[in-house]
Amino acid sequence: MERARRHLARWYSIPLILAVWQVLTMTGVVSPRLVPDLRLVAQIFWEDLMNGELIHHGSYSLMRALAGYGLAVVVGTGLGLVMARSRLTRDFIEPIFLFGYPIPKIALFPVFAFVFGFGTPSKIAFVFLECLYPIVIATYFAFLQVPRVQIWAAQSMGAGQATVLWRVMIPSALPAVFSGLRIALPIAVVVVIITEMIGDTTGLGYYITFAAVSFRYPAVYAGIAAVAIIGFVLDRLFAVLRNRIIHWEGQRLALY
Amino acid sequence: MTRFLRNIALPVATLVLWEVLGRAGYLPDFLSTPSIIVSAFVELVRSGELGGHVWVSMVRAASGFVIGASLGVALGLASGVWTPLRNFFDAPVTLLYPVPKIAFYPIILLWLGLGDMSKIVVVAVSVWFPVFIAAIEATRSVGIHFIWSAQSMGASSGVVFRRVVLPAALPQLFAGLRVGLALAFVALFAAELMGSNAGLGYLVVDGEQNLRFDIMFAGIVTFGTIGFLCDRVLLWVRRRLLRGQLIGTAETAF
Repeated sequence: MERARRHLARWYSIPLILAVWQVLTMTGVVSPRLVPDLRLVAQIFWEDLMNGELIHHGSYSLMRALAGYGLAVVVGTGLGLVMARSRLTRDFIEPIFLFGYPIPKIALFPVFAFVFGFGTPSKIAFVFLECLYPIVIATYFAFLQVPRVQIWAAQSMGAGQATVLWRVMIPSALPAVFSGLRIALPIAVVVVIITEMIGDTTGLGYYITFAAVSFRYPAVYAGIAAVAIIGFVLDRLFAVLRNRIIHWEGQRLALY
Repeated sequence: MTRFLRNIALPVATLVLWEVLGRAGYLPDFLSTPSIIVSAFVELVRSGELGGHVWVSMVRAASGFVIGASLGVALGLASGVWTPLRNFFDAPVTLLYPVPKIAFYPIILLWLGLGDMSKIVVVAVSVWFPVFIAAIEATRSVGIHFIWSAQSMGASSGVVFRRVVLPAALPQLFAGLRVGLALAFVALFAAELMGSNAGLGYLVVDGEQNLRFDIMFAGIVTFGTIGFLCDRVLLWVRRRLLRGQLIGTAETAF
């Protein structure tokens, strides 16, 4: 009962907003092109889901986002760890991440499109680049913050380098690493959609732009809804995975 | 000294390699060379063309950022202290957070046209989300003991908010503003790329389409530099405002 009430308190605004939307459309206060009839949006969403259109484009976007993200996770955590442990590597690559972080990398996308072609590879490469920064920086700081006393304690008890890494440093750094990974996940989705909107013939970003240029505005919203669902599901899956891996951390992952 | 040399080693090596390979003709046309890009840059500055595009983009980015950030801070702080408001925003914000706000751009374009307003709106919406979330989190994480102490000393809720909650929330608020600023430039560039007739994004696309890759790169470098400088300005403001609060924290240039 209590649980149901909490869920109601958290989710009631969605039906409320949709109801207001529908009233606005039906009274004709706002142009139906800007705010189309929700029944139309739902119908198009359903049709395009059933004829495989949304699945087709959605799986392209999902595959690109996950490929770029996965690469960034592997390379980024590795780089961050090496940066935190090796002075030499840090000196060489720290400025690239320090100064590169606030540079809007989206400006480089036209170059990526030339180098990797307009299709899937340039998207994956770009998602990789955009996700790499938060992951490297989070990992780097996570490993820098491992309490030295704990490392000393382990060493004095005779732990070798590998043991210290696996049993002390990684467990200590993992929560902070995961918060970096979580920041990067929606970035992957956002970047994929943006780059697909700029130029492609597959993916949900293309689905949205194509709907707009063919004046099918309800389909624009159907596409946006599909992106929202993918992003939401990915985030939930991530939270479940994270809470399983970092089971020793008492604090569970909250909503945001 | 050796540290400094190592710091600049990779960027310098890349530039030199780029220049040498480009001159030798081993690189495709669209990569141009650094020296040609610099001369295109100088030419664009002289003719005033670059200045014009920079101005247009800056006005859009700044207006959008200010609108989005102030709405985000105001609504976020209010939601942080007032549960009904937080409950209202919770679900829609969770659902829309991973959607690039630029996805609404076709609709916004239809509504507001190709001019500045459509860009300002899409930037403002993009900025609003991270700032709003950071503001809620910041208010929520203020130590309850501070609030109790202030209250037990007779502070009214207004005073508690202004003198306790707000100062304690500022560091996290700035983290949100920083993410917002980064997103502002992403949204602006994508919007200018997709439909615009002025601004740096337009300059880049125009250079690309006319095969003037030197102009394209000059636009890219300018855009990157502006984004970088704006971030530095925000960090500077933050250091001024939070003077004394950052002592002992792992605060670096990030």
